[in-house]
Amino acid sequence: MENHTIDPATYTLGEHGARLKRNATSVGVLALAISAYLGFAEGDAWRHFFHDYLLGYTFVLSIALGSVFFVLIQHITGSFWSTTVRRVAETVMAQFPLVMLMGLPLLYPLLSHVGQDEFGGLLWPWLHPHGAHASLIEGKHAFLNVSFFLIRQVFYFGVWILMARYFNKKSVEQDNSGDDVRPTFAMRKVAAPSMILFAITLTAASFDLLMSLDPAWFSTIFGVYYFSGCVIAIFAFLAITMDWLQDRNLMVGVFNQEHYHDLGKFLFAFVFFWGYIAFSQFMLLWYADIPEETGWYLLRQSDPWTNVSWALLILTFVIPFLGLLSRHVKRSRKTLKFWAWYMLVAHLFDLYYLILPQFTKAANGVDIMVDGKMQNIPIAEPGTSLPLGAMEVLIPVGLFCLFVAGVASTAGKRPLLAKNDPLLPKCLGFHNI
Amino acid sequence: MAKAELTQLDVEAIYPANLIEGDPSFTQVTQEVAGITEWPKPPRAWYIAFAIALTLLGILGACLTYLVVTGVGVWGNNQPVAWGWPIVNFVFWVGIGHAGTLISAVLFLFRQDWRTSINRFAEAMTIFAVACAGLFPAVHVGRIWFAYWLFPIPNQMSMWPNFRSPLLWDVFAVSTYATVSLLFWYMGMIPDLATIRDRANTKIRRMAYGVFSLGWSGSNRHWHRYERAYLLLAALATPLVLSVHSVVSFDFAVAQTPGWHTTIFPPYFVAGAVFSGFAMVVTLMVPARQFFGLKHIVTMRHLENMNKVILTTGMIVGYAYMTEFFMAWYSGNQYEAFAFVNRAFGPYAWAYWTMVSCNVLFPQLFWFRKLRRNLWVMYPIVLLVNVGMWFERFVITVTSLSRDFVPSSWQYFKPTAIDMLTFLGSFGLFATLFLLFVRFLPMIAVAEVKTVLPTAHAHGHKKEEGE
Repeated sequence: MENHTIDPATYTLGEHGARLKRNATSVGVLALAISAYLGFAEGDAWRHFFHDYLLGYTFVLSIALGSVFFVLIQHITGSFWSTTVRRVAETVMAQFPLVMLMGLPLLYPLLSHVGQDEFGGLLWPWLHPHGAHASLIEGKHAFLNVSFFLIRQVFYFGVWILMARYFNKKSVEQDNSGDDVRPTFAMRKVAAPSMILFAITLTAASFDLLMSLDPAWFSTIFGVYYFSGCVIAIFAFLAITMDWLQDRNLMVGVFNQEHYHDLGKFLFAFVFFWGYIAFSQFMLLWYADIPEETGWYLLRQSDPWTNVSWALLILTFVIPFLGLLSRHVKRSRKTLKFWAWYMLVAHLFDLYYLILPQFTKAANGVDIMVDGKMQNIPIAEPGTSLPLGAMEVLIPVGLFCLFVAGVASTAGKRPLLAKNDPLLPKCLGFHNI
Repeated sequence: MAKAELTQLDVEAIYPANLIEGDPSFTQVTQEVAGITEWPKPPRAWYIAFAIALTLLGILGACLTYLVVTGVGVWGNNQPVAWGWPIVNFVFWVGIGHAGTLISAVLFLFRQDWRTSINRFAEAMTIFAVACAGLFPAVHVGRIWFAYWLFPIPNQMSMWPNFRSPLLWDVFAVSTYATVSLLFWYMGMIPDLATIRDRANTKIRRMAYGVFSLGWSGSNRHWHRYERAYLLLAALATPLVLSVHSVVSFDFAVAQTPGWHTTIFPPYFVAGAVFSGFAMVVTLMVPARQFFGLKHIVTMRHLENMNKVILTTGMIVGYAYMTEFFMAWYSGNQYEAFAFVNRAFGPYAWAYWTMVSCNVLFPQLFWFRKLRRNLWVMYPIVLLVNVGMWFERFVITVTSLSRDFVPSSWQYFKPTAIDMLTFLGSFGLFATLFLLFVRFLPMIAVAEVKTVLPTAHAHGHKKEEGE
């Protein structure tokens, strides 16, 4: 293969980055300001606002976590198809300090005593256990308590930020180290042990942030469930970003149809994987039909959530599965871009399905007649309408915009391409069969 | 670390050298692989192994005859351990049958060229393992002459299997998997069978290989169809890799039995299956490459890659053990917590810790490149993984059942001699089929290996320079 010399103009973000950063920041701040007003106007001591905030937060966090997985797995497997897109993923990975800042407002529901008698806390009901499951939840105090929760979050971010710094530093170092491939080799060595830490922290974070919204409920596969969403998010995000860059005449010639095809294949594979994991969780709980486990699904399969459950199945699995099946769809920038945006939104919808039903759940269950007996069922307060309004859109959009601004800012400071990666020539030349 | 000097192996990790050592020509590869089936006599080790395999197969036949004539009571199965060794052995063998399709389908889609040296071998192993697996549920039904009732066959009595039973799903999952694996294996072998046919110097050989090579002439059109079919079968087989062992895990996980009913079972079982499958491939590959002179085709790099897969999947299994244990506490469910404490510290603690050390601890040695490239280290480890994965199924099945919800029925499960001999005998079936395979069929995918030889690429020969 010839010695490739790529024009630096193709991998310098320049003015585009500054503009994107400016625009995304303004939109993000505006969206969050409006949401803050809406949340205040709700008059429920910010309870609704914080459920939506958690939605937006776990959404951007999932993209960032997805990028960690992406970068690590490329090094572990020695992939070459992804070399030209890896820097973008590294840039996403570098946003962990920003994501941590975004998490700070969640300290309020964590520390505040508002709503403790009615809901057991503004967001996580284990903060002040009450009601039918109080003693069960108190039994989990060793894990579910404020100080340990905070220590864990600090630990996760410590791990993620350290990993992000290491892989970004080494990757940029490789840009300027000529024939010396030691930075690449160092990354390879660190990647595999990092994956262990990644698996543990991601699983525990998903238990903390999402599963503990219903502290009585548990599912061993939950970490894998959130993980599958993270991977969908990053592949969608990468496809969107590469398309956006190429629209601006950047990264042209280093990222072609073959690379889009591979991104598309992985997006498809993880749509399938998500379906597999979601099905495994649902089917096993449905089949065994043990009340303490089915309560979580009962809530989601009673009004107003019944249709949301069906929509989740159809919109995040059936339709994209069929849509992404064809080779042509994955090889065309236009169609892949559509499905990437689609899956990013579908993933947000999945998180909505995980979080918002807990917001509508009747604090003390609902007494209804079942099989001739009065029973207390953990479903939504009767007559509750679906919480799907401006805030559900504006908060995730706001946080996402700020996240994108962060990505643009980091990307503007260095090449968009791992320009001196030893696998670059191989990456530029491969073809799908 | 950045200061350290790079070794040759480090550099190869980034600029892979040739997969096949010694730079053989196409003819040499054909000669070396197809030639094995033409040797007048296999090596002496083959005869010894075959004699042992036949003996074990005889034991299997005797045990099964005794079982059918006498009844399932000859096994240690009892109440509440109604599922004893037969299900353990079934899951053990199905698990082993996972590496083949993973290597030939998933690694194919991932463009892992190195699979070409081992895929034929692993696929054959898959099929033989699935055959062994199928044996156990079939004989476990007791009246084996009614085993066909497992299938939903229309009959005058209007008897249908229970479609809500995961055991029925198993019938479909395993038979689909067996069918697709067999197709995949056979179809991939056609060009090589034709090669052996063309080299045949006796009429019987020409006829035998001729019939099975389906008139393959190596024409452009044949190759085109072959490649398309291969890609499609790979894509169809990939979900099967997940589905079979997921369905097997449902056998346990849909139940309300503590220790069985946990949502992570499907992916955890799949990872465990790949783990045990790769361990078995290495177990068989190390002697095979030695005795048949294939060390330059199945190189240390191939073994190393397989050991890496073993390490990875072993870690996933470890992740599942950990999550299960955490959740047993977190769930706040006393029965679930008891099941796990009982596993680790109850009467079967010895089995549990055997499982944990074989599956999670010993494979950790594979973190070190020197160790995972050393035959004397890897061989004991892969043998231990085989042991550990059998114990995993034993621990799951027996610990949960032997101490169920009714303490008055608790007892220590003891297998009978027939249990043990039947399991031992199943190795005889597996080994017999396998030894016949290495004797009469091309154990390396000759046509595929040729595609990764440097001479197959227009850009020539030597490692690209100046990259």
